[in-house]
Amino acid sequence: MRHDYEIAVGPIHPALKEPIMLRLTIEGEEIVDVDVIASQNHRGIEWIGMNRNNPIQSLYLAERICGICNFCHPSDLVMAIEEIADIEVPERAQYIRVIQGELERIHSHLLWAGVAAHEIGFDSLLHYTWMVREKVMDVLEAVNGNRVTKAIIMYGGVRRDIDEERAKLIRKMCSYYLEAFDKLANLFLKDETIKKRTREIGILKKEDALKLAAAGPTARASGVKKDVRQDFPYFAYPDFDVHAITPDELLGYTVGDVYDRIVVRLLEVKQSVEIIEEALNNMPSGDIIAEKKLVKLMAKIKSSEGEAVARYEAPRGEDIHYVMLKKGYEPLYSWKVRAPTYINILSWRPMLLGYQIADIPIIAASIDPCLSCTNRFAVVKNGEEKIIDADYFHRLSVQKTRRLMK
Amino acid sequence: MNIEEVKQEFEKAGYETWITERVAGVRNKVARKTLWIKVDKEKFREAMQFFKEIADQYPHFSIISCTDLENIIELNYHFALGYGGRLEEYVITFKVNLPKNDLKIDSIAGIFPAVIYSEREIQEMMGVVVKNIPDGRHMFLTKDFPSGVYPWRRDEAGVKETNKLYERWKDEA
Repeated sequence: MRHDYEIAVGPIHPALKEPIMLRLTIEGEEIVDVDVIASQNHRGIEWIGMNRNNPIQSLYLAERICGICNFCHPSDLVMAIEEIADIEVPERAQYIRVIQGELERIHSHLLWAGVAAHEIGFDSLLHYTWMVREKVMDVLEAVNGNRVTKAIIMYGGVRRDIDEERAKLIRKMCSYYLEAFDKLANLFLKDETIKKRTREIGILKKEDALKLAAAGPTARASGVKKDVRQDFPYFAYPDFDVHAITPDELLGYTVGDVYDRIVVRLLEVKQSVEIIEEALNNMPSGDIIAEKKLVKLMAKIKSSEGEAVARYEAPRGEDIHYVMLKKGYEPLYSWKVRAPTYINILSWRPMLLGYQIADIPIIAASIDPCLSCTNRFAVVKNGEEKIIDADYFHRLSVQKTRRLMK
Repeated sequence: MNIEEVKQEFEKAGYETWITERVAGVRNKVARKTLWIKVDKEKFREAMQFFKEIADQYPHFSIISCTDLENIIELNYHFALGYGGRLEEYVITFKVNLPKNDLKIDSIAGIFPAVIYSEREIQEMMGVVVKNIPDGRHMFLTKDFPSGVYPWRRDEAGVKETNKLYERWKDEA
């Protein structure tokens, strides 16, 4: 006899650090249907940008779209407005932007790796990974004065220079990561238990990745060679030989599972370190901002008219902003923000179908969803909704790891 | 297939097209190009089908952006093509104008499945009716969001007092 149960994961859930809900239909232990319900918390950021803020205020607002990607969203907005208002960016600023972007990628990927280890119950690895991550956070603080929401990018350049003293700190960090890389790769990729929990789990086939327009590491782990830094480079990226990393580079083949997503992100950390070193070695001298006076800058933006699409390769995938400016209208006339998770949550369905409840945390986390953090979820059983503590869910995942280790 | 070839194909089929570009890079300057294609709303589904047929790789859907231009609503369907090769990608944007008195557009979820969230979003945010949409529920706004209010609109259907929007129960009580 068939018994279907529905599990509602969310609005808030340990693997999805933001308010989103997954309604899963379960047959025994197996997931047979997935529905994503996003309507939990809409902050109306686009509305504020289109109605209340002037473009400079919106820049700081864009920085707060996402705490982790606090450089990606303002970068997109800056690129779009620079294109419309035809602002030329100094060469040195373009290099500093590249360095900032890559620093962010390192910390974001390491953050994710720690979370992934935690989801499968490997907490010592979580702590080790986050200890390693502290190095880049310290450098971010030393270079920008802040670990997150760094307020570094501005229309026409950047707000703070990277001088020789700070460059030295970054170089030191680079050599630290090149050393730490082998150990991290060894821990994540050679461990038998991690392999058992991630190999052949949450597979996203290449054709599904293409069809569902997956972006970033999620797409690359499925073998789609797609990276904005390679395909449609911005800032100073055309100067660098960036290529889209797919798992076959390391393993010789691509499966498209959770393990492959770990491989891609780890390799990208190394790639980012190399880009930073190259950027530091070739950094042009000169100004870091085109127009220092904000009033003049505002006047220029206000008298501009047009539309532009900006694209940026964020750690989680491609960020896209569409901006329209109208002469005389101070706020952005039109602003559409697309974060990578917006499109990547479509891939949850094919990833989750056929797997077990205990696999939900690691599969859901494997796309590195960027949605905020609360911790309870509801189980719908015979039409009755019951709220269960998030720990229970996490415990299920940990128990599965323990079972496999026996 | 490069951007010029796509442009020619669409021009041959009778669409209005233009290209914009912006230079990036410091030592290695490259032009990043965007192709804009204007499409009538009656021919929209047909154009999308045509696009999928002529493209030599699966077009990467990005997002639908949506602007209220007083008498019309402008929809932009953003795609990317040419990915996978260094400096070879370009953006393709399809522009569709809808008059305010007939805000209807065909769903293209059957052609590009990834478009579904965006179609749901423009329905709730702009009040555009997407015909034959496979799933017409709210996407980002809550189930109890008042009907007839569309946050991205700039006319009387837009949001006026945001703070009050969620406090209607106070008036009703």
